[in-house]
Amino acid sequence: MNGYVEAGYVVILGTLGTYGLTLLARERAARRRVGAASIEASTAAGAGAPAKADILAPPGDASAVKHGAVEQAGPGSTS
Amino acid sequence: MRAPTRAVRPDRAAVTLRVLGVTALVGVAATVWLGLFVTPPDEFMGNLVRLLYVHPPMAWVAFLAYGVASLASLLYLWPRTRAERFDRLAGASAEVGVVFTGLTLVSGSIWGRPTWGVWWVWDPLLTTTALLFVLYLGYLALRRVPGEFHVRARRSAIGALIAFIDVPIVYLSVEWWRSLHQAPTVLNPTTHKTYVHGSMAWTLLLGFVSFTLVYIWLATHRYRLAELQDLEDTEGLEVALAERRAEAVAG
Repeated sequence: MNGYVEAGYVVILGTLGTYGLTLLARERAARRRVGAASIEASTAAGAGAPAKADILAPPGDASAVKHGAVEQAGPGSTS
Repeated sequence: MRAPTRAVRPDRAAVTLRVLGVTALVGVAATVWLGLFVTPPDEFMGNLVRLLYVHPPMAWVAFLAYGVASLASLLYLWPRTRAERFDRLAGASAEVGVVFTGLTLVSGSIWGRPTWGVWWVWDPLLTTTALLFVLYLGYLALRRVPGEFHVRARRSAIGALIAFIDVPIVYLSVEWWRSLHQAPTVLNPTTHKTYVHGSMAWTLLLGFVSFTLVYIWLATHRYRLAELQDLEDTEGLEVALAERRAEAVAG
């Protein structure tokens, strides 16, 4: 064989292997961050704080708070 | 103090993905073994033919990845099927496609140097493949342009469909402009014949199957990463809200 064949295989397998391992590491890190963030959010929310709708609803819009309309609409909603 | 992580029980999908990964790995290992040590050298190309057990599968997977990205983009643009998951799938598949297109170009170049005497030549097939690589790099850049989710997703979907126009041009370029690159040997679109036989054909077929499995594994992981990143953005919002709530109580 010659060096070209080996080089081709090394480049292909090396690139795919590195990309795959990077994806796995990034996925694992993201999973850890998401887990930590949700625990942080639930800890902060568990301190007797008012519901999310209390903060999102404009002042004086009691009905929106009562029926959770703002919360249901979700982020980015214009309805 | 570091916050404890959420306990994640491996679900059925994760187990399936792991099995898929192991199968792909075994398939690739078998392809490498057959390609490097078992199959005979070619009558004309000698040992350089061994590169062709991995080069055409790279190109095939790139086409497949872009096909999936285009289909997902179409499903996103179609109002009845519009869903965030199709946008994520398009992005994940296109990213993996770009990796495979890069490998197609590099492995082709490594094969071309001893065969043609040059690393690169402006042959129609090579040029249109390089254009495909640049087009999808542009698509990935377009996905990163900030904007409201659906606006960004819609323009990305249109970008993916425009870029896909180059795929059939790449495939048919060897037929349209007969140049330096050889015509398809696995299944020639003009003669409808295959020019690979015996252990060489089986090794090439195994290469196609194995790298397709690798693509599915990579694209699935990239999709899951995108899903987690979206969730992370949402949960970041939740944390900000919780902090604001705590401030309101304290105040």
